[in-house]
Amino acid sequence: MSNVPTTPRANRTVHHPTTPATNRLNSSHITQASPHYTTTRRHSLYGVEDRVVVDPGSRIWKVGFSGEGKPRDVFFAAGKEAQALWKLSRTSDPQARLEEDKMLEVRLRHCLRSVFHDSLLTDPKARKVIIIETPLLPMYIKEMMARILFENQVPSVSFAPSHLLSLMAVGRITGLVIDCGHLESVALPIFAGRPLFPRIQTTPLAGERLTSHLRALLLMFATYLPPPTSLSAAINVPAANRATRVPPEVLSDLVVEEIKTRCCFVGPALDSRAKFQEEYNAAAGGGADSSSASSDVDMMNVDAESTSSHAGFESTTSSQAGEVSSEFSIITNSQAESSVPVSSTVRSEGYLEALASMYKKHSTATDLKMRVTPVQQTGTGMGTLIIPGWIRERAAEVLFEGDVDESSLAETILNALLKIPVDLRKTLASSILVSGGTAMLPGFIPRLHSEIIRSLLTPTPPPSRNSDSSKRRPTLPQYDKYSTLRPLMPYFAILDNPSPPTAQSERARGNAGKAPAFTPAMLAWVGGSLAGALKTGGSEVIRENWDELGEEGDESNVHADDAMDISELTTTATPKKSNILPDWTRSPLRPGAPSAIAAKLGAPAAGAHAAVPSTPSTPAPPSTSFNFSRSRSSVAT
Amino acid sequence: MAPSVLYHCPCLSTSSVPPPPHLPSSSYSFHPLNTLFFCEECDAVRCNQCVSVEVSSYYCPNCLFEVPSASVRAEKNRCARNCFMCPNCRNTLAAVPADPPESSDGRISGSVNEGPYILYCNHCRWDSVEIGITFEKPTGLAAQLQKFEDSAPDSLEFDRLKEHFDAFLRQSALAASTTGTHPHHTHSHSLHTNSITAAASAALARDIPGVGKYNPLARSTNNRGYGKDKSVNRDEMTEYRSRSEISQAAGGGELDVELMNGLEEVDEVASLDQRWESSWVSSMQTKDLKPIRIPLHSKRSKRCPACTHILIKPEQKSQSVRYKIKLVASNYLPGIVVVLPHVRQAKEELLKRNLGKSVSAQAEEPSVGMVAGRSYEFQLNLTNPLYDPIEVRLSVQRVHVSTAPAKEGVSPEKAKRPPFAISLPTTKFPISPFAEAWEYEDDEDMFGVEDDELGIGPASATVKTTKDKDGRARPKTVGVLERKANKTVVGGEIVIGKEAQGSVKFNMLVSYTYRSDDPAPSESGDMDGHNARAPEIKTFSFYTVVDLGPIIPREEVKLDL
Repeated sequence: MSNVPTTPRANRTVHHPTTPATNRLNSSHITQASPHYTTTRRHSLYGVEDRVVVDPGSRIWKVGFSGEGKPRDVFFAAGKEAQALWKLSRTSDPQARLEEDKMLEVRLRHCLRSVFHDSLLTDPKARKVIIIETPLLPMYIKEMMARILFENQVPSVSFAPSHLLSLMAVGRITGLVIDCGHLESVALPIFAGRPLFPRIQTTPLAGERLTSHLRALLLMFATYLPPPTSLSAAINVPAANRATRVPPEVLSDLVVEEIKTRCCFVGPALDSRAKFQEEYNAAAGGGADSSSASSDVDMMNVDAESTSSHAGFESTTSSQAGEVSSEFSIITNSQAESSVPVSSTVRSEGYLEALASMYKKHSTATDLKMRVTPVQQTGTGMGTLIIPGWIRERAAEVLFEGDVDESSLAETILNALLKIPVDLRKTLASSILVSGGTAMLPGFIPRLHSEIIRSLLTPTPPPSRNSDSSKRRPTLPQYDKYSTLRPLMPYFAILDNPSPPTAQSERARGNAGKAPAFTPAMLAWVGGSLAGALKTGGSEVIRENWDELGEEGDESNVHADDAMDISELTTTATPKKSNILPDWTRSPLRPGAPSAIAAKLGAPAAGAHAAVPSTPSTPAPPSTSFNFSRSRSSVAT
Repeated sequence: MAPSVLYHCPCLSTSSVPPPPHLPSSSYSFHPLNTLFFCEECDAVRCNQCVSVEVSSYYCPNCLFEVPSASVRAEKNRCARNCFMCPNCRNTLAAVPADPPESSDGRISGSVNEGPYILYCNHCRWDSVEIGITFEKPTGLAAQLQKFEDSAPDSLEFDRLKEHFDAFLRQSALAASTTGTHPHHTHSHSLHTNSITAAASAALARDIPGVGKYNPLARSTNNRGYGKDKSVNRDEMTEYRSRSEISQAAGGGELDVELMNGLEEVDEVASLDQRWESSWVSSMQTKDLKPIRIPLHSKRSKRCPACTHILIKPEQKSQSVRYKIKLVASNYLPGIVVVLPHVRQAKEELLKRNLGKSVSAQAEEPSVGMVAGRSYEFQLNLTNPLYDPIEVRLSVQRVHVSTAPAKEGVSPEKAKRPPFAISLPTTKFPISPFAEAWEYEDDEDMFGVEDDELGIGPASATVKTTKDKDGRARPKTVGVLERKANKTVVGGEIVIGKEAQGSVKFNMLVSYTYRSDDPAPSESGDMDGHNARAPEIKTFSFYTVVDLGPIIPREEVKLDL
């Protein structure tokens, strides 16, 4: 007891303690020309000029100082097991949403404070901060981060778009960047340093979807050996006798994550669509033999439906997964919902079986054994999970097989290309850049390239579709969506393709695989570090400006952020805090811009101005597609 | 999980009443007492999430070297001396002399203490020879490795990129200044344009092929005809030639796919957190991992966010664990420990039974808990840290909503009914002042309200408790059970509803009165007189959340039986 306890003085605010939150704000006003700030200036000798670069993902954060080639620290934002900090959708129930926001805020605060105090060991008062944001990061999250940072007295915060930074990290300012993160994959064309935001394309096929798909596959096809009951049993009882289906409890988030990051890879595409289809039919027939007799009828369905596009096939996979793990339920799509629930269970089992046997045939990947913590401690030692090789190789197929509602990664890229002016297409198609953590899967980028080519080769839907699908509702007339892109085929090149295919054009040869060997996951951070070193890291929000708005900015506006409709969007006259944050969906037009209508339709980015008027054929996208939370709902329906 | 008491810090909400404990976010408002601070100026509790933090010194946790702040950044926040972590198990590595080469006659030649030296992990037996790192001398290892770090491909590539963009930015700035009054530049400096965009804003003026010009004034009309030929524009960046291209990189691509395809053991591939810090494409294999320099720690002083008074300030020296200033909450607020007698009793019995058994059986947690539809007693053990006697009043915040998410089929009014009821003594009760042990003259000063035999103290024997509990009259479970030195044990009772689920967690307001600035030392035990004598009585109150653990639903119990 080094400190003599003295009686606490004064009971000023016993029942109503003054809220430190407001105190903090006030004090930051007072200390604007704060002594702290001036005294820490002397540290400039030691490089206070370098900014703090934060790449806050929904799951993984990368932090470090600008001017360095790699981040100082990388960490899980909410612990290893925890879910993502934010999701693609917010709850609609106001009570629950309040709670959700509160959770997000405390977690963000915890992360941001630990960036300064644990990861970088630096004083927040002395460092400007660059936040790397994905273009569709909801405003309320940005606002929250800015508020927390300013509460911790950082001198300035700037937001920089991750896609542009990724391009900078490979030494370019023009390219089509696709960022495969955890929640979604976002393709954004950038021309001459200007992101063409209205041409953004997203798909929820990303890390999280891969995780849940992998979990569904493991639950069905992996084998679990519980620990032997006694040491002698380990020798005497053959492993085959102990083998069981995988209990869901064994597949903790941690285990699935480890399998995803340590065992999975992306195999090359299966040869051709025709052969694939044929194989698949055969596999479906084979699957009928092995499954129970009761599912014979369903198997006929399988045969009938197997002629449908691969997309439908995948959708039932996800509906199956929905029944296996409840986490999957958010992403059930329309097709799964419309089908009869009872039969869909059996049918999708059949589908998965068919899928399994087909992939098994093609896979040479080795089966892996993994030690896992058993459900309950009944025997000795750890349980064993046997992961079939084909799951390791083919789990990521889910990312390359989109459906009507959720376009695959290749389709996302092609859709973005379709939206940009014809003259830019060749340039952008030959400088595709893949970034993001999901792209770290070995073989991912080469596969993406071949998928792009394949989508261009295959006229969708395949001709066999109309022939004998009597049970199906009539399909749409044939529509070759990407026909206009087909001439570009020889020009497609992925800049950071580690093993580019033989180039078919001079342009592709000059670009494919020519990027520096930064890892895809780190591109955005390296770009942020570069931008900080070049002192161009996005427009700054200075603390003084933020604090000035402190009194007027009321929280209710901020929370109503995404409920804001178009009229509100144009009529917000009162200054509020989120208004001083850069936001491409809302930024005012420069003088002389056509009209406010264009602003409503969300085409305010500088580059878009040059592009929009000249391409009237491109319909202006509805404003909802720029609203993060709403775009989800449009996907779901 | 053991029952716990956490203390509320009001920093997260604007109201003084803490959030209901069943909300997951509420767990961030409550902290263990030992992590809290107390600001004397504001008379308020402060937690680690609201204090402002300043670094007072940096040191290496392994060698305890104090690193001057000037060199911290250059050393990348890591120890630049001899401290390394094992890449596999994060244990500290030891620099040991490598096995000397055996001479032909089987005898060890040369002295043992001569180089080369290697890094060796005492835990997992990793050594740096595996990745081909040996050292000439056993000191300054980081400096010896520095040359590798300086020539790391990522930093070289980064410098090249920087030069590349520097040149481009200079060029475009130059171009911008010569163009002079180009309208785009004035606008692009507005707050809402991205300044990376602004940096390249010269590009805006560029004739994008096939795209109509946004500002025709800025362009001469004859540009239109051969726009495509004007590829050499000032915004057109010269092509960047990578120092080492990704297609030529050592790792990644087909090689990794092949490696993964033939993978035999999961452990051959390094885990995500072992490789995620590298920004350069490198091998995925565990055997290629490099030793990690140990990250520095910092000693921090913390200030109250409201009045910026220092709450805690450590001594500068890294070897010292003392503090110059230490205003921790445990010196101001009574400490509370909650005990569930029936659980403790069951645990001790289990321990006794398992005494002779194997270790594996001990891993089983005793499944003693609180079953829905029954009532239990619990004890709060309050300790007074002050040198003055205090009087404490406890009041339980009503639980409004069911702790469990409403199940389908359960009627809403049923779900709304509080799942449990708490009874605690509502009257004030005293706790004697803290004093050094020798100041307690006799045991009678630490009298018990009940017999001293009552086995409630933490170290009491189980058998006794059982006996006493059986023999004890029912009403005695609620109220002050025992007073001893500066500790008072208060009993409470909890009645759990039949349909209850979730866990028993409730907010409890603790308010205590104390005499402030009273020079006369109080006589311990004399509680009655002090109210009348003391001129200045002050009250402080704070919220706590008491977590008694999960409720076991009834069905489960039946199944177990």
